[in-house]
Amino acid sequence: MKFKLVGEIAGNYSPIVLMFGFAIVAMAPALILSRMISPRKKGNPVKFLPMECGQVPSGEGRTHFMMQYYPYILMFVVFDVMAIFMYAWGSTLLELPKSATLPMLGFLAIMFGAMAFALYQSGRRRIW
Amino acid sequence: MSVIAPDFKFSKFIQSLISDVVWFVLILSLIGFPLIMMILFFIPMPVIDGELLTPFLAFTYLADPSRTLPIVQSFMMTDMFKIMAFPGFGFAALLAAGTIFVERKMLAKLQLRVGPFYCGKFEGILQLMGDGLKLISKEIIIPAKADKPIFWAAPVLFVASAAAFVALIPVAPGWVVADVDMGLLAVFAVIGFFPIVTILSAWSANSKFPFIGGIRALFQMVSFEIPLILSLLGVVMVTGTLNLSEIAASQSSFPWILFLPVGAIVFFITMLAELERIPFDLPEAESEIVAGWLTELSGMMYGLVQLGTYLKLYAFAALFTVLFLGGWNGPMIVPQFPMELVTEGITLGPITAKIGGLEPLLTQLITPEMINGVLMFVLKTVGVIFFILLPRGVFPRIRVDMLLNLGWHKLIGLAFINIFIALALVYAGVLGPGGLQ
Repeated sequence: MKFKLVGEIAGNYSPIVLMFGFAIVAMAPALILSRMISPRKKGNPVKFLPMECGQVPSGEGRTHFMMQYYPYILMFVVFDVMAIFMYAWGSTLLELPKSATLPMLGFLAIMFGAMAFALYQSGRRRIW
Repeated sequence: MSVIAPDFKFSKFIQSLISDVVWFVLILSLIGFPLIMMILFFIPMPVIDGELLTPFLAFTYLADPSRTLPIVQSFMMTDMFKIMAFPGFGFAALLAAGTIFVERKMLAKLQLRVGPFYCGKFEGILQLMGDGLKLISKEIIIPAKADKPIFWAAPVLFVASAAAFVALIPVAPGWVVADVDMGLLAVFAVIGFFPIVTILSAWSANSKFPFIGGIRALFQMVSFEIPLILSLLGVVMVTGTLNLSEIAASQSSFPWILFLPVGAIVFFITMLAELERIPFDLPEAESEIVAGWLTELSGMMYGLVQLGTYLKLYAFAALFTVLFLGGWNGPMIVPQFPMELVTEGITLGPITAKIGGLEPLLTQLITPEMINGVLMFVLKTVGVIFFILLPRGVFPRIRVDMLLNLGWHKLIGLAFINIFIALALVYAGVLGPGGLQ
């Protein structure tokens, strides 16, 4: 098995960062050019008020906002990690012995059991 | 009525021209050329005709195509060309611009309208250019009390994230900006940037509508990430690799959509949600919350966000093509180029026209296979883009609870069904080693 240095592997990813940087370098001038050629009138301060359908805004723009369905976010944290674990298993499936699938199925069973319990509780207590 | 201004003097005109030329030459020779030399010092130069290319030699070669074309060829193999032009930014931006025009025209036809019509001679073909000029010349209004640095940076970062996504897409064999072993995981990592940029932009505007839209976008993108990731696991299981080029190459006989249609459907639906397109356009629901998280963006900032959105759309459609439709694989329809025209030249009576350096360019880089691959890839991607655009003319917007119910209960379940289908196909010996090729 051929081992690679960490820097070598990380170096493969540098074009992604370069492309990210290129987009910034190529697109920032569009904003600067627009700022240079477009009119800039101070006008009256109403112009710079946040958009609130023509009314004078009341209160802060960054407020506390009750977003429902909070438990889904908790489920996201669990399922996101689980999905990446499954990639570690799935991408090597062709080389693994078939018995390696059993622990994975057990893992999934535990996850689904927990999810079913959470859904049952939420349905009973009406938390989402 | 005088056409020429009254204080016009021909001698002054000549004088101003001469002074312009003098300044140009002065600045070029004092700053321009030294700067070019300094930059070129750090760039690895190719070897042409057994000689290491220097800037002086490059200027000498300019007149001779047989020595200039190898320079072009070596430039086309650099990372910079790939990033700027072909599989990278330029190519994607071109397709994205085409998408915007086709979307407007197609939507108009679906709703029995005409769409862009007057700009340009034929069917409003120059509408996009006009819109670009309009956007760049409009005033950028920053709302009071906005967090200015973040507000300015967010549109640029949005485009940059979309560009980083484009960098991972293989267009033809060997034509990919970043050919990495963990390509698919890198895609998921880049997708994770979009909600962050969105919520930063929305939070920094200090306005209520962008804030609500940004939270909706965060919610939607984050919760559809799970079915997105799980629906692609089936393809990874049957190919045994995460490298996107290898996944595309593994479909030379049949595309994976034939075996994993459930995964393809789930991925398509999550794609619509990640792209904030109808029926999942809650973050920019124009009839509820003005324009969602785009409300306070004006002028070119809005233009950049639109560019980023369509780059992202192209990248998702291309990802669908690579994973499920076979990428560049397809029937060979591009004819072989008659190479004797290049090697022996074109003879017309006593004159023979022959370009020396063209042969390695056509046999190594721009081969018919590559052109065919790009053609197949673009055809499939345009097809997928068409199906992404189509729901906008057909479906209404759905509610948040319906969205979450769909994402968390139905799509995750279907994604697991897809995984078990893939597992069954591998263990029954249909796919994988010893199976169908």
